[in-house]
Amino acid sequence: MRLAFVGKGGVGKSAIAGTFCRVLARQGHPVLAIDSDPLPGLAYSLGLAISDAPLPDEAVEERAEGEDGPRYRLRTGLTAGDAVDRYAVTAPDGVRFLQFGKHRSQTGRGLFRSQFAFRQITRELPEDRWNIIGDLPGGTRQPFTGWGNFARTILIVVEPTAKSLLTARRLSRLALDEEHPRRVLAVANKVREDGDVEMVADRTGLEVIGIVPWDEALAEAEQKMAAPIDMAPDSPAVKAVESLVEQLSEERIA
Amino acid sequence: MRVAVVGKGGSGKTTTSAVVARTLARHGASVVALDCDSNPNLGLSLGVGDFETERLESMRESLDEGGEEHAPGWDDLIERFGSDAPDGVRLAVVSRIDNPSPG
Repeated sequence: MRLAFVGKGGVGKSAIAGTFCRVLARQGHPVLAIDSDPLPGLAYSLGLAISDAPLPDEAVEERAEGEDGPRYRLRTGLTAGDAVDRYAVTAPDGVRFLQFGKHRSQTGRGLFRSQFAFRQITRELPEDRWNIIGDLPGGTRQPFTGWGNFARTILIVVEPTAKSLLTARRLSRLALDEEHPRRVLAVANKVREDGDVEMVADRTGLEVIGIVPWDEALAEAEQKMAAPIDMAPDSPAVKAVESLVEQLSEERIA
Repeated sequence: MRVAVVGKGGSGKTTTSAVVARTLARHGASVVALDCDSNPNLGLSLGVGDFETERLESMRESLDEGGEEHAPGWDDLIERFGSDAPDGVRLAVVSRIDNPSPG
């Protein structure tokens, strides 16, 4: 499964993505969770107290003279799988976690270098073994500037508000506009009343593959910087993410 | 008065900006509301509606695509890329909208 969550800031991407990763890992699948959002969020919803999980400088080197490809790459002998084994932080249920772009630990040149290595990892990690789940930056500016390209399925998280719906329409245009073949689906979040899901489908023109109800437990988990799946494993929202995992696994589309 | 509103996604920047703009306008100030967000939704919060918000966005995009000429000054910019919102607020979309490059 190669999946990326996008959507307007604050719609619940990280909470859903983190829970999604944990559910998938509990079923025995190896999961790499990648956060390319400069703000923390995914780490907490995975159940990690940290928010930094960068690739160290030593993992990256400049391409040798005469060698093809991007300017920087993983150091010689280090495969994408090795890099995950060695550097990704292990979250509960065995989810592996890598974060790109936290400026506290990496700035300037180091950040620039590691960007190449991150992309290389998402490109080269063996598909038959690893599921890659990405939590992409909010808004419309950044998600598809290189980062979204590993994903075969883009899930646009939408809450039933005018701004989120408009953002989803923009994102869906950007996602479908590119040459990369991928499927774009909506996940309706913070669903409160009859008609919300229909509105999401109508106003985005997307198939709604997941329906997550409004759930105070998610807001509470966020406030406490805890994983929803640990704090409220039986909450309607967590159950809804379980259904979403099931749905995508069954369809074998991601 | 020149105010910029910033914050994390979903924290209420756009809503706050719109309420401040309209409240100032109601108190008699002449207000220009600039949407500098690459995901420009300020029109929705000011109350100009979905259609007009998307129209302003595509105006702004057509500038990048060469379909519109740059406004030579602020007055022109606000005239050409703007729209009248309730309470006399003038809204203009001036954000940088990146069209992501493949690859």
